[in-house]
Amino acid sequence: MAGHERIPVFDVLVTDDDVAAVEAVLASGNPGMSAEAERFEREFAEHLGVEHVVALSSCTAALHVACLEAGIGPGDEVIVPALTFVATAAAVRYSGGTPVFCDLVDTETLQIDPDAVEAAIGERTKAVLAVHFAGYAAAADRLREICDERGIAFLEDAAHVPVASLGGRAPGGFGRSGCFSFFSNKVLACGEGGALSTDDPDVAAFARAVRGGEAPGRGELGPALNYRLDDARAALLLSRWRRLSDEIESRRLHVRRYFELLADVDGLSVPFANEEVSNSSGYLMTVLVDPERRREIRADLLSEHGIQTTIFPAIHELTAYRELHPGLSLPHTEHVARAHIVLPLFPHMTEGQQDRIVESLAAAIG
Amino acid sequence: MASGGITPAAAEAGLEALRSGWLTMGPRTEALEAALAERLGAEHVVAVSSGTAALHLSCLALGAGPGSEVVIPALAPRSCAGAAAAAGARAVPHDIAGIDPDPDLVLATIGEATGAVLARHPLGYPADLGALAEACAARGVALIEDCREAIGATGRGEALGRAGTVALLSFSSSRQLPSNEGGAVVTDDEEIAGKVRSLRSHAMTSGTWDRHRGHAETYDVIGVGFNYRIDEVRAAIAHAGLEGLDARVEELRERATVLEELGELAPGALIEGSSPLAVPLVAEEPSGVEALEAAVVEAGARAERVEVRGDGELPEARALAARILLAWL
Repeated sequence: MAGHERIPVFDVLVTDDDVAAVEAVLASGNPGMSAEAERFEREFAEHLGVEHVVALSSCTAALHVACLEAGIGPGDEVIVPALTFVATAAAVRYSGGTPVFCDLVDTETLQIDPDAVEAAIGERTKAVLAVHFAGYAAAADRLREICDERGIAFLEDAAHVPVASLGGRAPGGFGRSGCFSFFSNKVLACGEGGALSTDDPDVAAFARAVRGGEAPGRGELGPALNYRLDDARAALLLSRWRRLSDEIESRRLHVRRYFELLADVDGLSVPFANEEVSNSSGYLMTVLVDPERRREIRADLLSEHGIQTTIFPAIHELTAYRELHPGLSLPHTEHVARAHIVLPLFPHMTEGQQDRIVESLAAAIG
Repeated sequence: MASGGITPAAAEAGLEALRSGWLTMGPRTEALEAALAERLGAEHVVAVSSGTAALHLSCLALGAGPGSEVVIPALAPRSCAGAAAAAGARAVPHDIAGIDPDPDLVLATIGEATGAVLARHPLGYPADLGALAEACAARGVALIEDCREAIGATGRGEALGRAGTVALLSFSSSRQLPSNEGGAVVTDDEEIAGKVRSLRSHAMTSGTWDRHRGHAETYDVIGVGFNYRIDEVRAAIAHAGLEGLDARVEELRERATVLEELGELAPGALIEGSSPLAVPLVAEEPSGVEALEAAVVEAGARAERVEVRGDGELPEARALAARILLAWL
């Protein structure tokens, strides 16, 4: 590294207020689960415009609960995108179901294609689990309509979008269940955490029961788990939640500035449009480069410029998923999976850091 | 009943982890694992999100998944069957008459499909597992030693957790070493440790911490794993709590000694060497439990009956359940 300050791809800034909030819970001597988690659930539900939020130990837990609640079991198929974190597809498998992968709309709109979803729905399809990728909303309104027409469940992986909008409504509020992530690299982070949103009181009651180690309808010796979020983490979430809208504004400014700066760089393209930014959470800043050169460009950014980047492998190409659908071809997903680079983006990044990232990227592309 | 007890030093360690800004599994989780391995004299400790998660992953790592059975004590808490079933196995309760499992009663439930036997140190009272461990070894069945309620107990002078193929720990807020939520798998078997490590974070071939340090460019996913990660704050709390653990266990024993006066202890329960969470009192006859309950409540403790799992005959367990009452510390 050429003497540069290192720039991480994600960065969590813990404030004195955050520390004080957790300290109060730890000092109370009763840091199990109760008051703070319930307070967070109420505030987050109000923000999303949904009836219920159930705080859970992770987004993976929320996805698992959503699939269980939708009655997914052996022989059932659930349609999912392949450009996502593996938990989206793994949750389907926990319940005994099979994930069926659908392609993206195109290589600029990195969201699942409703037309492809409609065409893929078959006899065994029990649900569609859409992902709002990178902080931008997928076509949840249209997907919900399609699912309603076919009498199947619509579920949302809203891990990237605790704050976003689709026609004035919050992603995560369109489906039977919406699943949120508070993992440490997310927009709203508490280390490990998640939540499930729903308008249906039965879905909420089911989620609360599973969280606490019960297994509704599955017998006294049936599967039961611990998906609790303790109050220390809930207090951290609440503290961070209260400044999230300011942080999202900063993220959006950084994304717009990235768009401006990157317009002058040859050899790359930038998914998502400027006018979409104000409705996004500004979670990921993605660029597409020549797939043949991506590895080299990322290595150069890291070793020569100290700039960390990340990528999302396509799920259907991972070892544990390859055999599920041999020969499956998802051209848009595969191109994006090979071509994209996720650049550093966090609320407190400076213009200087951003300039350096763009200059370094231009130099690495050459 | 205030079993919850994060010490001020442990809380401060948690806050220090928080201030560092690195929250997902990293150096503090590694330090907790190393400290526990040293304390228990084990080769590997893998910290996870809860004790239930530790059992779920242990079953999977031992191959006790779909099509196999996991034998559990009939008086075990709900999470034993729950985690085994989550792994795809069928939980089969065995009869039990006290703290120590009777190897004959356990062996009676072992069959072709048995993938693992789970033996508990219930409520912090060390069970004698020597004969059972030998019997399991002779049958080629893995023994899971459930120490989730017994961190800090010393049994016959040594830390528990060395009798089986794997041992389970819990850092739940109601336990001896609380970190709010957390747990661990303890084993000398490198392959099992590797499987648990992989499955706790989605069977990914590299972790966020590796990638953060530039040690890995990307990852593959080689199985169906879970998010059973602990985080740095909870790892730091559990680690720093080890310092005060022996004093805490001493205090729990003293409190147990007071409640012990209220009646007979369940067969096999010895306060010496224990790390008690509750005092298991037995009435001479089922009709005497009500009076016992009144005495426990009078003494300021929470009283709880014990349930028998499953609908099998289980005569010993049912006879004990009819007479036993837990007085929580």
